[in-house]
Amino acid sequence: MTMAGRRPVQLPVLALVCLIASGISGCQDPSDVTIYEPGVYKGKTDPLLALADTAEYEERLAVRFNYQRDR
Amino acid sequence: MARMKFLCDADRCIECNGCVTACKNANDVPWGVNRRRVVTINDGVPGEKSISVACMHCTDAPCAAVCPVDCFYTTDDGVVLHDKDLCIGCGYCFYACPFGAPQFPQQEAFGVRGKMDKCTFCAGGPEEDNSAAEREKYGANRLAQGKLPMCAEMCSTKALLAGDGDLVADIYRERVMKRDSRPQAWGWGTAYKSEA
Repeated sequence: MTMAGRRPVQLPVLALVCLIASGISGCQDPSDVTIYEPGVYKGKTDPLLALADTAEYEERLAVRFNYQRDR
Repeated sequence: MARMKFLCDADRCIECNGCVTACKNANDVPWGVNRRRVVTINDGVPGEKSISVACMHCTDAPCAAVCPVDCFYTTDDGVVLHDKDLCIGCGYCFYACPFGAPQFPQQEAFGVRGKMDKCTFCAGGPEEDNSAAEREKYGANRLAQGKLPMCAEMCSTKALLAGDGDLVADIYRERVMKRDSRPQAWGWGTAYKSEA
């Protein structure tokens, strides 16, 4: 058999292999699954937690709080 | 470090529902969800008492204890918050909460509830402070702006107090001294077996 005669058979096979390979690649486990552990918070970190550590934050709230006192 | 608390002075609350409206407006709370409600005891009877109720930001929060996906966290100043990206809308927190604070926005076919929504003490959630995403999911983040919850700041009679628990207790103690009476706090009569 000559090379020219084999080429039409190889192309569909190659296309099929590519199709199967791309299909299989979609079967892997997604990497962003959250695995839960009892009592452990695994959500996002709230930026407010860092802000609340500052003295300025507490001071501003304390000033604001005094508006709730009777005049 | 402050320990954030709400306190509603039952002798001052006039059941105007201003706190409810202020909360809904400030946080764009969806239709059908009330993060804050005014409850009146002995409504229509002389001596009726009203109190404004929302999430009490419990120290040992039962909602957090029963959550199967642990979507709750507590800030250093005692505000109980949750991550809506983790919430599966199971409703366990609703059954566990003695104050009925957790609310669910959707009531569709097959019991689809949607993500739980509750009072955040106007502290938003675990998104970038005052971002569009935080606003959409959790409402306003007034604490990050150096402000206190809208409901308390809008209260016309200053019945609803919010802030550091020690300071709140100070204000309430001063009021009781001025009234020259024992505290008329909600539950006092029940707890001490006396007439309110």
